[in-house]
Amino acid sequence: MRAGRARSVRILSGIVAAGLLAAACGGGKSGSSGNNVSAQQALIIARSMDINSLDPQRAYCDTCQIYLTAVYETLLGLDPKDNKTLVPRLATKWSSNSAQTEFTFTLNPKAKFADGKPVTSADVKFSWERLKGLAGSASYLASGIASIATPDARTVVATMTQPNSAFLAQVNASYMGVVEQSVAEAKGATTAAATDKAEKWFLANSAGSGPFTLASYKSGQEVRLKRNAAYWGTKAAFPEVVMKQTADAVTQRQQLEQGAVDIAMQLSTDVAKNMNAKNVTVRKVPSFNYVYLALSPGVKGGEALTPDVRKAIRLALDYKGLLDVTVGGAGRSQPSPIPNGFLGTDGLAPPARDVAQAKRLLAQAGVTKLSLSATYPTLNVYGVDFSTAMQKVQTDLKAVGIELKLNPVEISVWASKIGTDGIPVTALYFAPDHTDPSQYVQYFGLMPGSQWQTWTKAPARPQENQLLNQAFAAKSVNERGALYKQLAQAMMDDGVIIPLVNPDLYLAARSDIKGMHYSACCNLDLSQLSRG
Amino acid sequence: MRRYVLRRVAIMPLLLLGIVTMVFAVTRLTPANPLVTIVGERNLGNRVVVDAAKRRWGLDRSVPVQYERYVANLTRGDLGTSFRTRQSVGRDLSDRLPATLELTLAALVFGLVSGVGLGIVAARRRDGWIDHLSRLFALVGSSMPAFWAGLLLLYVFYSRLGWLPGPGRLDPRAVTPLRRTGFYTVDSLLAGDWNTFWASVRHLAMPAFVLGWGITGIVSRLTRASLLDELGADYVRTARAMGISERRVVAGHALPNALLPTITIAGFSFAFLITGAVLVETVFSWNGVGSYAVDAARSLDYPAIMGVSLLGGIAFLLTNLLTDLTYALIDPRIRLS
Amino acid sequence: MTATVDSTVLTPSVVNVESRSEQGSRSRRARLPAYIGLVIVVGWTVVAATVPLWSPNDPLAPVGARLLEPSRAHLLGTDALGRDVFTRVLWGTRTSLPVAFVVIVASVALGSLVGAAAGFFGGWVDAVLMRVVDITMAFPPILLAMAITASLGPGIRNALIGMVLVWWPIYARLLAAQVQSVRRRDHVESAVAIGASRWLVLRRYVLPLSYTPVLVNATMDFGQVVLLTASLSFIGLGARPPSPEWGAMITEGATNFYNWWIAAGPGVAILSVVLGFNFLGDALRDRLDVRD
Repeated sequence: MRAGRARSVRILSGIVAAGLLAAACGGGKSGSSGNNVSAQQALIIARSMDINSLDPQRAYCDTCQIYLTAVYETLLGLDPKDNKTLVPRLATKWSSNSAQTEFTFTLNPKAKFADGKPVTSADVKFSWERLKGLAGSASYLASGIASIATPDARTVVATMTQPNSAFLAQVNASYMGVVEQSVAEAKGATTAAATDKAEKWFLANSAGSGPFTLASYKSGQEVRLKRNAAYWGTKAAFPEVVMKQTADAVTQRQQLEQGAVDIAMQLSTDVAKNMNAKNVTVRKVPSFNYVYLALSPGVKGGEALTPDVRKAIRLALDYKGLLDVTVGGAGRSQPSPIPNGFLGTDGLAPPARDVAQAKRLLAQAGVTKLSLSATYPTLNVYGVDFSTAMQKVQTDLKAVGIELKLNPVEISVWASKIGTDGIPVTALYFAPDHTDPSQYVQYFGLMPGSQWQTWTKAPARPQENQLLNQAFAAKSVNERGALYKQLAQAMMDDGVIIPLVNPDLYLAARSDIKGMHYSACCNLDLSQLSRG
Repeated sequence: MRRYVLRRVAIMPLLLLGIVTMVFAVTRLTPANPLVTIVGERNLGNRVVVDAAKRRWGLDRSVPVQYERYVANLTRGDLGTSFRTRQSVGRDLSDRLPATLELTLAALVFGLVSGVGLGIVAARRRDGWIDHLSRLFALVGSSMPAFWAGLLLLYVFYSRLGWLPGPGRLDPRAVTPLRRTGFYTVDSLLAGDWNTFWASVRHLAMPAFVLGWGITGIVSRLTRASLLDELGADYVRTARAMGISERRVVAGHALPNALLPTITIAGFSFAFLITGAVLVETVFSWNGVGSYAVDAARSLDYPAIMGVSLLGGIAFLLTNLLTDLTYALIDPRIRLS
Repeated sequence: MTATVDSTVLTPSVVNVESRSEQGSRSRRARLPAYIGLVIVVGWTVVAATVPLWSPNDPLAPVGARLLEPSRAHLLGTDALGRDVFTRVLWGTRTSLPVAFVVIVASVALGSLVGAAAGFFGGWVDAVLMRVVDITMAFPPILLAMAITASLGPGIRNALIGMVLVWWPIYARLLAAQVQSVRRRDHVESAVAIGASRWLVLRRYVLPLSYTPVLVNATMDFGQVVLLTASLSFIGLGARPPSPEWGAMITEGATNFYNWWIAAGPGVAILSVVLGFNFLGDALRDRLDVRD
């Protein structure tokens, strides 16, 4: 009798304890079929995605750059070999007038959309006017366009409101891609924010001429792309590409190691370290992204930030140490707000620490007990954790006698604060949209009304505006290079923006994946990738 | 009874309006700026972009007008469009709800089955080591931070041992089954796809365990207590005296009676499950309502925050009602008034 | 069997599970866990109060290389900034315990006030106050705390406000029920009949009788508040770095997944505190016998 009871009890407890967990464990190694993936199988990319739209004229994010480059085409491409030279894409020829106010493009007659219709100058006009008219986040790229003429179906003439030598580089930005006007309009697209109703349609469909088309999108989960079978150029190697939402670097690494995914691009140094390198290739490439410190002398609480004090802060920072704690040394220090590798940055001296000089400057300025408050967003971008970076800054400033109070906040709170009272000391990041250095001057320079002039409330420097206008009107690359170098130096002297870390990018992929390149305009060009 | 139900149902819209009002007030009357979610921090100084965004999302209106519009749209069943996903919140929620339901149901089933089992064992072996062990298991389960337990399991069973799959509902390379119910387990079975079914069960194992553990604790202690009471009752003594086997006494007589209170606890577990789901979904990258709520809260996605709150409120009110009713049905002594 | 369930905040500790046959014998059996609970709670409280005096290291400053494995010098290793994890776990008490204490005290005060008022005045006051309670409780606690904290801006102070707003209705309901039951007692009814002021009745008859259930509930909830604080911090809505808070430390541990020791300490700390308060609350309930 008792034995019988005991057995029933045991059976029950067996069911319970073993239950779901043990039963599910029984299946052996977790399912990964990485080793026998055929060349024609879908390419899987693990990515923490920040997609805010898939509408080519509204989207604005890093993942959007990859998506837009794959699905919509720009008139000009970027040579993957040097990340600088413009190459033909939808346009075969392009030219500008000597005043840099009028740009003429000739479209490739072979170019056609995924539905077979040719890409015409009207489509280009519609796309750029829509970009400008919807006033989305990338609209600044088209805001300098005064008018667009289409003398014939293959010719586009864009006239600027003022000289703009950066326009060709801007045309290369993925947000300047061309959408098929007839399709988009049928789905409610217009060129005015008040009337346009197409954004939701673009979340499930695409209307581009690129090597891929959108198969499906599940927010928070995946973007699925299909090869454009009717692509007019060299067709993509993969029939299908899937970007899978994978929030953290650890999971990205593990899935890559197992072969569950083919590419992971957001590994941090700590995670990439000691990686099981079998069948996985990890490359470290320089990026143009960086995290910077911003000092606002004109706001409440920032009165003490005189030019000398700002210079002292710049000298007090341990740039190498910053690189070590934030990205494990995988990156560079950057002298000016224009990142290394852009026009005008050759020969700028890298920032160096000089504690003695910093102390001297502070003593000369009569600053003895300085206490500053640093409100910064709790971001983690490009492998750099802001809190980690700011704690290092805090330590470094303490060494020269400046007390920094850290106040990390969510970015929405940060945005509200910087837009109203301003913030004496803060940190933020920047990633380029195209290859022209003007985007940095317009944003960081102390030109009247620029973003950071407004935020720091530092005295405006109209001469920077003059230099930039000269650069916009300059005819030769050398001339522009010299002007941008002056601008870079001027922004360094302003001392309100101090770049902290320019992190490297880890390109990690299964070893059989070929054609991985980091692009300054477009992040990752999916059509270049192949397996084998 | 019917009047009671009617009254409870009738008061629901009022409670929901209360929730809407409260969440609306809380989110709008604070210093944070959701525009950064919409236009990105780089465009905050761009007048044209900011103005267009404000107009488009109705943020250029005064808070009372925004409130009025929201409630008016709500009565038409329109929850608004999420700042972040740019999809209607209703659709976002219906996309993600099955994932959360599948997880919580799995956790509930696990919690009930294992809890009842442990409870029976503990009652039969009262004050034995298994009783103490089950008590400890129950207590640890209810004291354990779910997110930490999840990380721990991921580290051991996924990273170190490789016995179970990692975060997510299916492997990245897997094709999700055709959506009928939105439950991957059910949909894959309907499609006759055993591999996907098995994969989805394996993906469910860890998060469901973490989430269900707390329930196991409650249920096992309840089952044990009520079973002990039943076993001490007169009819059981009579049955034993008549020579009916102990096994049949437990299984056939005492257990059914003892289970009634246990079953009602399932309803009560809902709040516990919701709280847990928010954290467990975050740890296991489970694309459900819980992780949607976290993302919405962090990016100050007003319409999404409102939608999640409403959904949570409705679910909560309904389960409370159902639980009260079940109680009344089971125990006629409880008079609902 | 007595299954008293608070249908709104179901945490295992709220469910009173005990078989009738055991109710007498339980207090003897429960002694060991009670002592364990007491030792844990007192231990952590002492740590919280005194750790600045004997702290092994600075909790905010790097003290060694990054990501060192646990060793004799660093019992729980170092984190991504080279800070001593063990020290930070100890300092974590100085966030978790005071926060939980303030949340509980504020919730009890606010809830008691509202509950007593509702129960005592009855009529429309009761109706209005109890609807407010219903609305607040018709809400998964974490969602409400998240919404509040997110819009006030993350931070431990705002998380605290959020948690108080989530927690007070429990005590309001508790007190209201208590008041109603006390009011129906003969001696109270006669006191009211002979013209005792409401305030007097409240102070003399109602509140003293409410201390016990409130105390038991508060003890049990203490652990739950510690858990919720950590949960909010874990999803990035609570304590902000660099402050050593257990939930935030577990987040850091998750980003440094392979360095298991970063999350291990804070996890065990949370577990032990919550367990301790559950043990203690259990024992208090037995000792004070608040079941009627």
